[in-house]
Amino acid sequence: MKYRDILMEQEDLVSPGISACQGCGAELCLRTALRVLGKNTVVAIPPGCLAGAGVVGWNYDNGLKIPVHITLLDNTASFLAGVKELYDYLDEDVQVVAIAGDGATADCGFQSLSGAAERGHNIIYICYDNEGYMNTGFQRSGTTTKGSHTSTTPVGSLIKGKAQHKKDMPMIMAMHNAAYVATLNPAYMKDFVSKLKKAMSVKEGLSYLHVCSPCPTGWRFNSDLSIEVARKAVKTNFFPLYEYENNSFKLKKVANPEPVSNFLKLSKKFKHLDEKDIEEIQAHVDEKYNNLVNLAGENIN
Amino acid sequence: MPKTDVINGNKAAAVAVSLVEPDVIAAYPITPQSSIVEYLTQFVINNDIDSYMSEVESEHSAMSVLTGASLSGGRTFTATASQGLSLMYEPYFRASTLRLPVVMAVTNREMISPQTVWGGPQDSLSVRDAGWLQIYVEDNQEILDTIIQAYRIAEDKKVLLPINVCFDGFYLTHMTEKVEIPDKQDIDRFLPEYNPEHIILDSEKPMAVDPLTSGYLLMEYREKHLKAQQEALKLIEEVDSLYEGITGRSYGGLVENYKCDDADYVIVTMGSMTGACREAVDHKRNEGLKVGLLKIRALRPFPKQKVMEIISGKKAFGVVDRNVSFGWDTGIIYQEVKSALYDSKCYMPSVPFIGGLGGEDITIEHFEDAIVKIHEAYQNENNPQTVWLKN
Repeated sequence: MKYRDILMEQEDLVSPGISACQGCGAELCLRTALRVLGKNTVVAIPPGCLAGAGVVGWNYDNGLKIPVHITLLDNTASFLAGVKELYDYLDEDVQVVAIAGDGATADCGFQSLSGAAERGHNIIYICYDNEGYMNTGFQRSGTTTKGSHTSTTPVGSLIKGKAQHKKDMPMIMAMHNAAYVATLNPAYMKDFVSKLKKAMSVKEGLSYLHVCSPCPTGWRFNSDLSIEVARKAVKTNFFPLYEYENNSFKLKKVANPEPVSNFLKLSKKFKHLDEKDIEEIQAHVDEKYNNLVNLAGENIN
Repeated sequence: MPKTDVINGNKAAAVAVSLVEPDVIAAYPITPQSSIVEYLTQFVINNDIDSYMSEVESEHSAMSVLTGASLSGGRTFTATASQGLSLMYEPYFRASTLRLPVVMAVTNREMISPQTVWGGPQDSLSVRDAGWLQIYVEDNQEILDTIIQAYRIAEDKKVLLPINVCFDGFYLTHMTEKVEIPDKQDIDRFLPEYNPEHIILDSEKPMAVDPLTSGYLLMEYREKHLKAQQEALKLIEEVDSLYEGITGRSYGGLVENYKCDDADYVIVTMGSMTGACREAVDHKRNEGLKVGLLKIRALRPFPKQKVMEIISGKKAFGVVDRNVSFGWDTGIIYQEVKSALYDSKCYMPSVPFIGGLGGEDITIEHFEDAIVKIHEAYQNENNPQTVWLKN
């Protein structure tokens, strides 16, 4: 089935009436992922934008048309390990999937995810990275980009925005020797769908999918620009599209990458950055990208 | 035929679990619980039991794995102690409010600081209001028997609550005693299958488990939770009787009444200290002091009615706590017992005792002194300050 047919023909498993912000990258990622995953799926969603948007439901109403549970902020992977173990024990093949924000993944949920990856539980862990705790007013997280304004890293006279670089979650998960690791971007849906399909075919070990999830409300850009922001993240090598499996990396190369400033200037959370700040982010992006080029070796297309 | 073996408390716990064969076991080692995990791993890797064992990276994940397995309809087990239980607190509380009948042994260990690893129930007592059932046991046979009974109690449709079987670190976990091991067929007959209907993650029956919930509904949940705890009062006694029918062993259900019926004075204990206290009661009775012993088994639900029936009308009572209730200047069980007696409308002097913290011994002599102090409180018509039983 072609990816367009999957997206057009397979059922939308998200109930009507959920309250994500207009232009939400995470909602798009959720709806797309569930269309591809299908009904034989158990989903866990920790507290965060998607839980707050009501996808787990409100009082008596379901938010999804498949089984779903709001886990704790810090135990999504180990919770799903238990679900998967029980279904394995019963000899029933069910897809067990996390759809978690970056805080629940890179910060307080990290130990649980690291343990589950090391033990190799057969779950699909999707992280929608919107670079902060967005549903509670945009506090910083470990994956917030350096220099970004957040409500806990405001722009002041001494320090302007977050002082540290972004935690590199997909690379960290690759270094766990997870069965499959990939970066996904909603501006590249064909690639998105094919990577999710690959994760579904993994029958041993954990798959980790890291999704670039622009947030109009927190990053401060017009809601019709979400896809454009996501695309620029790839075009500038800020968010390279790559995969890791069987000890090797595969990188999708961008022809004539644009300067990272083209991505940064779209979001007002970066508007205070001066030339030197941008140079530093560019240097970091280049360093990360060159590292990927080295790791991918001949597997660059 | 039941077998007899000489084993420590942790082995007794592991053997009980092997007779039940939960679907999923997840645990993280901690002193003095570690050998439970080791025994269970041995059983699993040698195919002695058909369970899935997960050697998780923390207690937080142990309870999280069990939450997932139990929410998918599985029967589960874990064990922990002290700092491990503290780390587990977040998913621990939630297992009860999700009404998941997880069974967990707590090898009671003192809380730090100062740094310590020895016995004492401060750990599980500190989480007594997290919605779990808690039963405290006295010896290795009672560990084995109570863990088996725990599944029947927790999984009953009237209850559906997780349960702790708590026993003192080192005093029981590492001491060997003669233990009778029931036949597996008998246990299979004793334990009905667990088929949850109230809550399940099943793609055939899609359910949103734990949506965002308004206060008025949350109040309904809490009210039902409290009622389920009260239902457990009856069930713990019924299950004790049923189990006696199979094995011939009964522990009195919620409490054990040792020579209280004709007593003037009652001394209250919990856990492994009880054996020494029974000796002291016999000595003092020989000296002419009519004293009885009330052993608390069920702390949650608290057996208020039983405590009232046994203690009200006596001349005085005392409670020996191997724990502290910060802010009250006494132990925790003393407060619980005193609170239960309020509705009996009969006042009597009472004495709070604290001893055995950090694994210190509570000797027969300590208990004899305690009984004398309870007698004196009656004679002097006063409630003394907490008496510390020091060595």
